[in-house]
Amino acid sequence: MRKSNFWGLLFVSPFIIGIIVFFVFPVLFSGYISFTKWDMFNPPKFVGLKNWIDSVTNPVFWISFRNVFYFALIFVPLQTIFALIIAHMLNHKIRLKGFFRACYFLPNITPWVAGAIVWKFLYGYDFGLINHILRLLGLNGSYWYDSEKWWVAIGSLALMNVWKGMGQTMVILLAAMQNVPTEIVEAAKAEGAGRTTIFRKITVPMISPMVFLTMILSTISAFTAFDVFLTMFDVYSLPDRNSVVNLMVYREAFMYGKMGPASTLAWMLFIIILIITVIQRKFEKRWVHYEN
Amino acid sequence: MKRRLISVLLIMVMAMSLLSGCGPSSGKEETKTTDQSVSGTKEENKTEEEKKEESKPVTLTIGLPGGYDVTSKEIIDGFRAAYPHITLVIDEAPWGDFTKKITTQIAGGNAPDIWFQENAAVLGYGDMGAAEDLMPYIKRDLKLEEYASNLFSAQEGEKVWGVPHGGNPIALAYNKDIFDAANVPYPTDDWTYEDMIEAAKLLTKDTNGDGTTDVYGLLTAGGITDGWFPWINSAGGQALDETKRNAVFNDEKSLKGITEWVNTIHTYKISPSRSTNNELGGTAQMFGNGMGAMMFLQYSLGSAVLNTNFPDLNYDTAKIPLTFDGSERVVPNVSNTWLIFSKAKEDNKEAAWTFLKYYLSADVQKLVAESGSTIPVNKEALAYVDTLQSKPLNKKAYTEGVDVAGVTLDENKCWNEWRTAAQPIFNDIMDGKTDPQTGLNQIKTDVQKILDENFNE
Repeated sequence: MRKSNFWGLLFVSPFIIGIIVFFVFPVLFSGYISFTKWDMFNPPKFVGLKNWIDSVTNPVFWISFRNVFYFALIFVPLQTIFALIIAHMLNHKIRLKGFFRACYFLPNITPWVAGAIVWKFLYGYDFGLINHILRLLGLNGSYWYDSEKWWVAIGSLALMNVWKGMGQTMVILLAAMQNVPTEIVEAAKAEGAGRTTIFRKITVPMISPMVFLTMILSTISAFTAFDVFLTMFDVYSLPDRNSVVNLMVYREAFMYGKMGPASTLAWMLFIIILIITVIQRKFEKRWVHYEN
Repeated sequence: MKRRLISVLLIMVMAMSLLSGCGPSSGKEETKTTDQSVSGTKEENKTEEEKKEESKPVTLTIGLPGGYDVTSKEIIDGFRAAYPHITLVIDEAPWGDFTKKITTQIAGGNAPDIWFQENAAVLGYGDMGAAEDLMPYIKRDLKLEEYASNLFSAQEGEKVWGVPHGGNPIALAYNKDIFDAANVPYPTDDWTYEDMIEAAKLLTKDTNGDGTTDVYGLLTAGGITDGWFPWINSAGGQALDETKRNAVFNDEKSLKGITEWVNTIHTYKISPSRSTNNELGGTAQMFGNGMGAMMFLQYSLGSAVLNTNFPDLNYDTAKIPLTFDGSERVVPNVSNTWLIFSKAKEDNKEAAWTFLKYYLSADVQKLVAESGSTIPVNKEALAYVDTLQSKPLNKKAYTEGVDVAGVTLDENKCWNEWRTAAQPIFNDIMDGKTDPQTGLNQIKTDVQKILDENFNE
């Protein structure tokens, strides 16, 4: 028994070393750094709770959290609902099913930089497609991602993130739908249940663990979203009203070389995500149905 | 027991192989000096001290952000030929990637011996102790009368944290065809901002009569170098004071300059809005497409955008206009700056300085000039720039402009931080979302807070 333990540990040890070096140590080290002033050149200088106090007393920090919450509030439900509807549609026997599946998944593998060029064209004030259509309809054009209204700017990016991330969620939900036992569906049909009833009363409850999983993943990705903000907003001219936590971390660490405040913000974000996930887990039992 | 020992060794080998992928060697190109085809005229000019140095072989790691697109390969090859005892290891990466990884390299103590970056970043490195003070080297080896004043663009107090890789000043570019068509005389070096605005009014046209402007007299930029910074100086105002530790921004003169900047769009209507500008590819692109008669043109954009994308564009340059009252001229100049890593070995520091002396020599600075992407700092090479036949022909607008009236963008160790705070408010002012007075007050408050945080630590 002891011998088999030894060999087991031997074979997993490279990965354990990797996890310790590349995950455990950086996490603990960033925790330590959050209590220091460190420019990455001179030794860290302990400053106690200064970084934490500075962060919570900085109004931009709270604006950033407001924006991330708002972003998640739009992104998570919309992505889940759209992905669910499209997965349901693509689960039926329709022509060109493979083509449509590929089309909906395509944004997921499109680089953010390329996506941003297209969306900047769509959202452009003077020559953008959306404003062009609005003007054809006799309405006024609007600023979108560059609006002075934070909720319009952040909302525009949340919609863009739905476009980008929906494909992946759709694939997970489609796989779950295909695992719904056909005999249950057939039995329901035999009892006279319509398509909508089957979807509402059988499909959704049966795939609810996967819906829950995708919602957890979407929530985490909403709170850690970075590329969408980096490519759409100019990080050198980002107004405070549109600030988000990840861009604050990036700016503090890599533009200003202030690792202490950057680590503090990263830890605060981690704590918030943890709290949200725990809350989601609390509500899990109310609507998620596991087979056993 | 023996098997365990072998197993432990095996684990170590596996772990080492796992970690080796992250070693510092990736992205580096080690090249020993073999190319002797490049002229070795430097050999004849070497001092005795340099010849002594040559007896000791040195491996010098040199960081090149942007690779050979930004620093001519001819220059690097020339150094290899002239100094065969120095083996160069080139650490190159695209600009954005380089600036990200250099932060971690500095933290790990394995940064290149010498590299270049934006001047403001170099000032920050100097402040934290990562850059070597080059003042003793300069005093020892350089004849100051041979260099333009921006040799000292990375000076803070008595210390010099780097020397220019090259300068990138602005000048007033104008489209000759549009001026000819409107029968307006070309800009001259004695123009004031007022003259420029008046000419722009004459040049702004709705050519097809559809009620919208097709040709703008002036393409006003929103950024710092060619946008709000020259305009804040246009009436004698300032961003920071001379100490670079106090924000000015909202004094009467600055307000006048920024108000005129906004007026070019919203009152005089001689310039497109910021959104139009952005959506049509920026000022240089619009200028190249014949949609603007004048713009403030950074030197590098002449060769990189206009001469490349619009080879037939009939344009030239004049110096940046004098202030509204005609009393002075201010020419913003952005520098990239070479620095020597303070933790490099002493031999490597000397080898790095040897490279910098080579780089600053007249012959090499002429190669810098020929690249067209940057203005050299050596005066002989500056004179040589004027003889180059590429557009714009009047390169004195840049070379004399920067020599006589060149200023940095009020760079200090927290420049990135304060200008990032100021820029979005300037954008709002330019878009008409905030009035100039309110916006400048806000900028002054925000920037002063950042300056206090950084200088009163």
